[in-house]
Amino acid sequence: MTKTQGAPKNYAALKWKTNVARGLVTASLTVMALVYAFPLVWMAVSGLKTNQQIFRDPFALPETWDFSIWLEAWQVGNIGQYALNSAITTSATVVVILLCASGAAFAFSRFDFKGKAILMGVLSLGLLLPLQSYFIAQSAMFNALYITNTRFALIIPYIAMGLPLATYLLTVYLRALPDELFEAARMEGASDFTMYRLIAMPLLKPGIATVAIFSALNAWNEFLLALLYVQDDALKTIPTGLLAFSSRYVTDYGLLFAALTIVTVPMIVIYVAFNKQIVEGITAGSVK
Amino acid sequence: MKPNKPWVPFLFAAPALMIFSFAVLVPLLATAGFSFVEWSGYGPWTFVGIDNYRELLTDALFAKSFLNVLFYIAATLVLEVFVGLCLAGLISVQRGGSLWFRVALFAPVMLPMVVVAVLWSFVYNPDFGLINAAFQNLGLDSWTRIWLGDPDTALWAISVVSGWVFSGFFMIIFYSALQQVPGELSESARLDGANEWRIFWSIKVPSIRNALEVGVLLCVTGGFQGFDLFFVLTNGGPYNSTEIPTTLLVRTVFRNADVGYGSAMAMVLTAVIIVVGLVFVRLRGWNQRKEVRA
Repeated sequence: MTKTQGAPKNYAALKWKTNVARGLVTASLTVMALVYAFPLVWMAVSGLKTNQQIFRDPFALPETWDFSIWLEAWQVGNIGQYALNSAITTSATVVVILLCASGAAFAFSRFDFKGKAILMGVLSLGLLLPLQSYFIAQSAMFNALYITNTRFALIIPYIAMGLPLATYLLTVYLRALPDELFEAARMEGASDFTMYRLIAMPLLKPGIATVAIFSALNAWNEFLLALLYVQDDALKTIPTGLLAFSSRYVTDYGLLFAALTIVTVPMIVIYVAFNKQIVEGITAGSVK
Repeated sequence: MKPNKPWVPFLFAAPALMIFSFAVLVPLLATAGFSFVEWSGYGPWTFVGIDNYRELLTDALFAKSFLNVLFYIAATLVLEVFVGLCLAGLISVQRGGSLWFRVALFAPVMLPMVVVAVLWSFVYNPDFGLINAAFQNLGLDSWTRIWLGDPDTALWAISVVSGWVFSGFFMIIFYSALQQVPGELSESARLDGANEWRIFWSIKVPSIRNALEVGVLLCVTGGFQGFDLFFVLTNGGPYNSTEIPTTLLVRTVFRNADVGYGSAMAMVLTAVIIVVGLVFVRLRGWNQRKEVRA
């Protein structure tokens, strides 16, 4: 009897304790989220203020909510051009990475051939090597070959930097497919190219999506090579273009805040929309 | 499987290998070669043997740049990895609506580092920046600083920005690892009266050790390669207090046109990163063997 009476009381105490703990968790998460998001919100709000307003009270809300400054920042900052350049560079990089990496992964995972181990080893060197180990001579080479200051100056190294990890991940995905699939196709007389095109590629789709996402994010955000290899303003990507803009309009803070906001908002929208794939891409891309 | 024709696999692998060799392997060997010459980037070069490396040994600025990056790595191990772990713990306990918390905490990872750097140069701005304004509003005027212009605070300031960006990244990695931890152990500990705090630190954290080790490795090797934030926020200044090997070698090669000396720096940095990576892999293998034996 005492036991059955005691249990609900204990249970109530436990439940109360859990509720307090849960409340504490939510409260601390809310505080952290606010701290993290605050600079971004401040940036968006300050973009709508004049220099005087920014200096008078950094925390105040704008006096007028005039979003035309975004249009002005877009035009003055040449952001359309930079975004277009980033889009061209990124999509070319991703398409070539996917084609080359899926081909190499198909060869490495499905065929036995002489020199396979060496070729795989060479490519996986790329997983270890930091950019600093080769970019000095790369820049000298690109100068000598007149590649510098063209779109290829970024597309080629971005592809080369993305290939090792992309190939490695796609090889892992392809190895997981059952052998019978390919052997049956071989019995039916399918050629190697047919197997690549009609069996491997369709079944690789989830892996390809993951690889595409982290390759695209890397290419979109890359800064060092973009800074060194492209001086022509008409070819600059978003990171270097924005830096050029910010050094040209050093003191027009409202305009700069607006430009930063324009670049930031789409990235957050993309994250919210593709949150699952992006998390998968980033964890796969890092936990090699 | 045997290919139709023996050359088929090579055909499949060739594009990837050719691009990789052209843009990474050849430049890697050439950079190693550059480190033994003196060259301005144009015109003829002179072979100087290991002089560049010998000079590096006594280069106080190069040594300082390594000390700075070690400080930065130590700070980010706390500000990125440890904070990321705590955030992952909180998120994993939060029921249901954790998506919006994750969005807020992860958003900085999505942004180009240049955007982050320009934004934070405003946050640290001595005249209208958030930090000084906050201290002034709290009546702590004496706490205000020229954060990025003061050699005592600049490296700290950059480390904090790095933490703001990458703690969300590590949070996501640890969060997905935490979700793989089987629930039974925590459940039985809970029945034995252990609280969530104890369960997290004594059961869950040890079971995601793999992810933690990878996180530490990423933070360390990534730290040595950091560049974007440093370049935009301070470019090594003030008084070299934020000089790290990457900013130093970029300036040596592309501003001072000292390609050979910069290449030697690049080779030393590469060696350090690879040795750290290999030592780490060794240690892990050794620990795993120890576990198997125990």
